[in-house]
Amino acid sequence: MERALWAWGANSYGQLGLGHKEDVLLPQSLEIFPCNQQRIKSITGGGGHSAVITDAGEFFVCGQNKEGQLGLNHTEDVLCFTLCTALSSLHVIQVACGWDFTVILTENGEVLSCGSNAFGQLGLPQTSGGCLSPQKIESLREKIVNVAAGIRHALAATESGLVFQWGTGMASRAKRMNQGRTIPPFLKAKEPCRVSGLEKVKVKRVTASSYHSVSLTDKGELYVWGSNKHGQLVSKEIFLAEPVKIEANFFLDEKIGAVWSGWTHLVAQTESGKVFTWGRADYGQLGRSSVHDGQRQEVCRISEEHSEQLFNVPVPVPYLTGATQIACGSEHNLAIVGAEQHRGIHECTGRLDASAAEDLMFEWGSQCFSWGWNEHGMCGDAVLDALLSGWNTAVSVKRSDTTAKRNP
Amino acid sequence: MSVFHDEVEIEDFEYDEETETYSYPCPCGDRFLISREDLENGEDVATCPSCSLLVRVIYDQEQFMRDEVVSEPTTSKELVKC
Repeated sequence: MERALWAWGANSYGQLGLGHKEDVLLPQSLEIFPCNQQRIKSITGGGGHSAVITDAGEFFVCGQNKEGQLGLNHTEDVLCFTLCTALSSLHVIQVACGWDFTVILTENGEVLSCGSNAFGQLGLPQTSGGCLSPQKIESLREKIVNVAAGIRHALAATESGLVFQWGTGMASRAKRMNQGRTIPPFLKAKEPCRVSGLEKVKVKRVTASSYHSVSLTDKGELYVWGSNKHGQLVSKEIFLAEPVKIEANFFLDEKIGAVWSGWTHLVAQTESGKVFTWGRADYGQLGRSSVHDGQRQEVCRISEEHSEQLFNVPVPVPYLTGATQIACGSEHNLAIVGAEQHRGIHECTGRLDASAAEDLMFEWGSQCFSWGWNEHGMCGDAVLDALLSGWNTAVSVKRSDTTAKRNP
Repeated sequence: MSVFHDEVEIEDFEYDEETETYSYPCPCGDRFLISREDLENGEDVATCPSCSLLVRVIYDQEQFMRDEVVSEPTTSKELVKC
């Protein structure tokens, strides 16, 4: 099957790369993608911008560019995927898009950043404001193997398993919720600062969200810190100033192989393939209830009575078992189930990353599930009939628990 | 009664001095907005121009009037060509 890149959802800044700024409810093929038949390795999105990297390490961007988050040395929005020439001499292996900034990891373990620096989220010396062209974070001296970007903070994991955080996005909540106690330096650092409390573990992957951070260790354990306003940290505390382990019994004593995060909900997959969700649930972010509205209402009714107990505890979502790719947007999610089995979940992390506004995906000869907030068509469910009738087994979109809200 | 997407402290908003508007990220990709004037008048609902979501701004109106500008940090207007 020929590879194709598809896009749908919110498109206020041209982040779908389709050449315009209209929201797109039906997946559209990006026929104008300029990567010359190279394999696309990963897709990621920020508040209003998108980034694609190829197997050759090329870095393409489009969408909102008000803060220079596209790294193109200007601040005009870009409606079609464009090669970031500033990085032409580097081999990019991972990109993390924050709200209005971008963090880039190269093959040799160096990290660059561009975009807004209003909260120190670029990790660069504070002599500089925002940055229109990717700038190397010199203070990260050890080889970096994984990066993550939240709304106003970022993370990096080193080859030896240390975690660094920068950007002050979590600091104000930390101060308010930590009730006068001193907050750790990494919560208010504007340059990379080692995250304390992880001394006894080796972290291999990191995930950053609106006001929390997640680390996955080489032993398949999850450590979380930050805001627990929606139960996303599986804790009784409202804020965790330092990393706390989510005990394995929440995951049926299985090791975690990969983890993703929306703004206030989390998704984790165990090494055996089970997919757990927990955290904020009011837009159907957790995908737990049935497709049928009647049943959904019933679940909601029951849930209201026990909502805290239900949503702040990881629960497996059976129809996602064995998913080969998962991505979380702000309040919605995508999962590919039944894709080519040789692609392990570790490889997939970050390959398909639906962030705040847009959804982009490959055609794998498999099914794409979507669930959660759908006000801009991010769940692509308008396409259900067209896909099932016209594309055979190409891609289908199923809606599980979409409770998009429209206020009166 | 509207259901708020979130309740957000005024100090977590960014302030744009040119438009005298406070803004905060909306999950749709746009920003919740509320003007300084609205806050001075006791309004506490920030709206997103692109979607239906609303957030309630947590602030003390009297203190807000006293402090004039309580924004921290302000939106960085300084962009450098690296």
